[in-house]
Amino acid sequence: VSSELERHLDGLLLEVPEPEPEVGEAALSRALAALPLPARPSRRRLRLAAVLVACALGLLALAAGSLAAAGALHVSIGGARTYVYKPLSLPHGAAGIAAVVGGRLSVVTRGGFRLQGLPVSAATLSPHAVYVAAGVGHSLVAMRPDGHQAWSQPAAGRVVAIAWAPDGIRIAYVVRDGRRLALHLIWGTGTHDRLLERSVRAVTPSWRADSLAVAYVGAGGKAVVYDIFHGTRAVVPGSPPDVSQVAFAPSGTRLGMLGRGLVVAGPTHLRTRLPIAGIGWFGRTFVTVTRGGSFGPLHTGSVSAFATSGRTFATVVDRGRRVVAGLPHHFAPVLSLPRGARVTSIDVRQ
Amino acid sequence: VREPSDRELVRGARRGDREAAAALFRRYWRDAWRAAYAVTGRRALADDVAADGFERAFAALDRFDERRPFAPWLHRIVANRALDILRSERRLAYEEPLEPSDLRADQPHGDRGLLAAVADLSVERRIVVVLRYGVGMTPKQIAGTLDLPVGTVNSRLARALEDLRETFEVERVE
Repeated sequence: VSSELERHLDGLLLEVPEPEPEVGEAALSRALAALPLPARPSRRRLRLAAVLVACALGLLALAAGSLAAAGALHVSIGGARTYVYKPLSLPHGAAGIAAVVGGRLSVVTRGGFRLQGLPVSAATLSPHAVYVAAGVGHSLVAMRPDGHQAWSQPAAGRVVAIAWAPDGIRIAYVVRDGRRLALHLIWGTGTHDRLLERSVRAVTPSWRADSLAVAYVGAGGKAVVYDIFHGTRAVVPGSPPDVSQVAFAPSGTRLGMLGRGLVVAGPTHLRTRLPIAGIGWFGRTFVTVTRGGSFGPLHTGSVSAFATSGRTFATVVDRGRRVVAGLPHHFAPVLSLPRGARVTSIDVRQ
Repeated sequence: VREPSDRELVRGARRGDREAAAALFRRYWRDAWRAAYAVTGRRALADDVAADGFERAFAALDRFDERRPFAPWLHRIVANRALDILRSERRLAYEEPLEPSDLRADQPHGDRGLLAAVADLSVERRIVVVLRYGVGMTPKQIAGTLDLPVGTVNSRLARALEDLRETFEVERVE
């Protein structure tokens, strides 16, 4: 039996099915993006390059000065990638994940989009994680799956929060202009930018499932919903004070709000003394995550950031040392964090 | 036209030649994915493990000793990635059952195939079986790949064969 068994085993992999072609293409893109840079040029070439770069920087500084003076300076990013720590992994079942750690953006998507270490102030993924939009310098920038810039929109200041609508048509973003924070809407194509609210709080807006309304936090700290179809805005009835997070359900019109000591989701109010790290939705189920507590089957330490999309979630565990993500019953580490690095945002898309 | 050797492709990839890197990828992607599938038993995991393996291999090409063959080095990375994922999954997802294996759905004959029998082995035994019979490594190479003593590899292989033999005998009796 043994030799017969070993003969069968020799053909073990012949029984294995074939990989899907698109999986191979996505894996190839990822692998090519990870190739090391070509060998360094000689010292003489380096010296020459240094002189040229110095000249170019001088010219650039002069040009930037005049552009800034004219109010037209905004950044342009190329394909520069800096590996700063272990790459982010794609959670099972997710189309993409983006994390801002220590002010640097990591993105990985099922389509093969991979980006590491870009300095940003905030970021969001488009529906199905096809694009990523990020605050880079004093601009809102959208990047294509090859990691290059799709478009760039100059902003009045640093972009502190961004949310891409579920239908992909609009992006809501909050800009810090001096001491004031303003809410803008822009189309996903990078056109039709408009100021929606002159004074808001630095809270990531949330889009309703039909993409026809966006929730944000007004200057007074109450949740406000702007109805795009009717062009009207209204403070959400029952909004708690000092709202620090708003989250529309992935279907329907229910809005979750996290305020000072109060969590509200539609008609449900929950008063709590527990420090809440985040709110979100698994389908129709509203979830709250307590800071320093546990979430579902994790029991692995404190939670400091949390994101959901459909049934997929991503959260920081192990006292800020790891990000885990996936379905509640099937999650895995997707990012190990360097000591002291702080996750300021996570976005996950299905 | 002569096919470029692995060494030539690795040199090209190191110089930043994306065509050479893509050729190297295409040469080994299928094998790496199939090995990952045989170890993990799930398509989604095999997709991730094989893609991660190539990404790590390409990122580390500068450190690869090109006097050595490329395939075992790549399989080493893929095998260790598969082990990492399966172990972390086992460690984390203890309250809920893990996703069922795709092996039964993918079995062409509908009955309990050899691959499904291998999938029932423990992760430690399964991986040595896949590396030995699927990838064709010697016990010494497996020992190097998994950082284990050769004796441990041999004993795991022997126990795995014993388990599989029992399955086969049962099937023959049935």
